[in-house]
Amino acid sequence: MNSRIEKIDNVTLIVAQGRLDFSAAAAFQSQVEQVMAGAGGAGAAVVIDCEGLEYVSSAGLRVFLLAARNAQRAGLDFSVCALQHAVREVFELSGFSRVMAVHPDRATALKSATQKPA
Amino acid sequence: MESRTSVPGEAAQLAALTRFLQDFCKTAELPSAAALPFEIALEEIFMNVVMHGSPAGRLARVDVSLVLRDDDLTMAVVDDGPAFDPLSLPAPDVNAALDARRVGGLGVYFVRQMMDAVSYAREGPRNQLRMSKRVMRANAAPAGTNPG
Repeated sequence: MNSRIEKIDNVTLIVAQGRLDFSAAAAFQSQVEQVMAGAGGAGAAVVIDCEGLEYVSSAGLRVFLLAARNAQRAGLDFSVCALQHAVREVFELSGFSRVMAVHPDRATALKSATQKPA
Repeated sequence: MESRTSVPGEAAQLAALTRFLQDFCKTAELPSAAALPFEIALEEIFMNVVMHGSPAGRLARVDVSLVLRDDDLTMAVVDDGPAFDPLSLPAPDVNAALDARRVGGLGVYFVRQMMDAVSYAREGPRNQLRMSKRVMRANAAPAGTNPG
C-alpha cells in the first residue's frame, strides 16, 4: 500500500491506497503516529481517507484502533471516510464503525472536522 | 477446479499466498467481492500459524488448497505446528467502548462471520482448518433463475 499526506487548514488528511494487510500495517502505523504527533495538538483534526483502500485485515484495523485512541488522548478530532465496500464490511463486522466517526466521503469528513470549535 | 501450494510458516510468505489465491479466483472468473472473504480468511489463519505455529527452532509447513465445485469454494489451511484450534478462541466483544477494544480474536471472528462453514480437525501431526462459502461466478446466472 502507499499513503500521502494533505493538509487543509487545521485538518491533516492521510490518503491511504492499496492493501492494508499484516505486511503493510507496521509502516502505516508509524506514519499515522507521525502525522498525529505533528497535527497541531488539541482542536486539530486527522482524517484517514480510505477511498483508494481496497483491503483491510484485522492487522490493518489495529492501526485505526490505535489512531482513534491516540486522538482521544491528544484531544484531536479523528475520523475515517470513503470506505470501499470491502473495507466497510470489516469495519462493520468488528464494530469499529461504532467507536469511531465514519463519513461517507471526504467532503463530509472535512465539513465535520472544520465545523468543530478549535 | 483445484489448486494447492505449500509455504514455510513465516510472515514473508503472505504475499505469495495472497497471489496464489488471487490467481485462482481470476482463473475461475470469480468476482473480487467473492474472493475477498477468502483473502481475509487466508491472511488471518495463516498469520495465526506464523505467530503460534512455529515453536523455537522449527518452522511450520503450511499447505493451502482451493477447490471450486459447483458454486462452492472450499479453502483448507493445513499446518504441522502444535495442536491449536483457532475456533476455540472466545469471540471478541464487538460492542466494547474504544478504550476496552482489543484486536485479538477479531481475525477468527471475521472468518466465522464471512464463511458459510468452518471446521477444525487435528489429523495426526497436523492442524486442518477448512472454510467454505458459496460464490457467485461472474458469468453465471443468478441462483434460482431457470434460463429458458
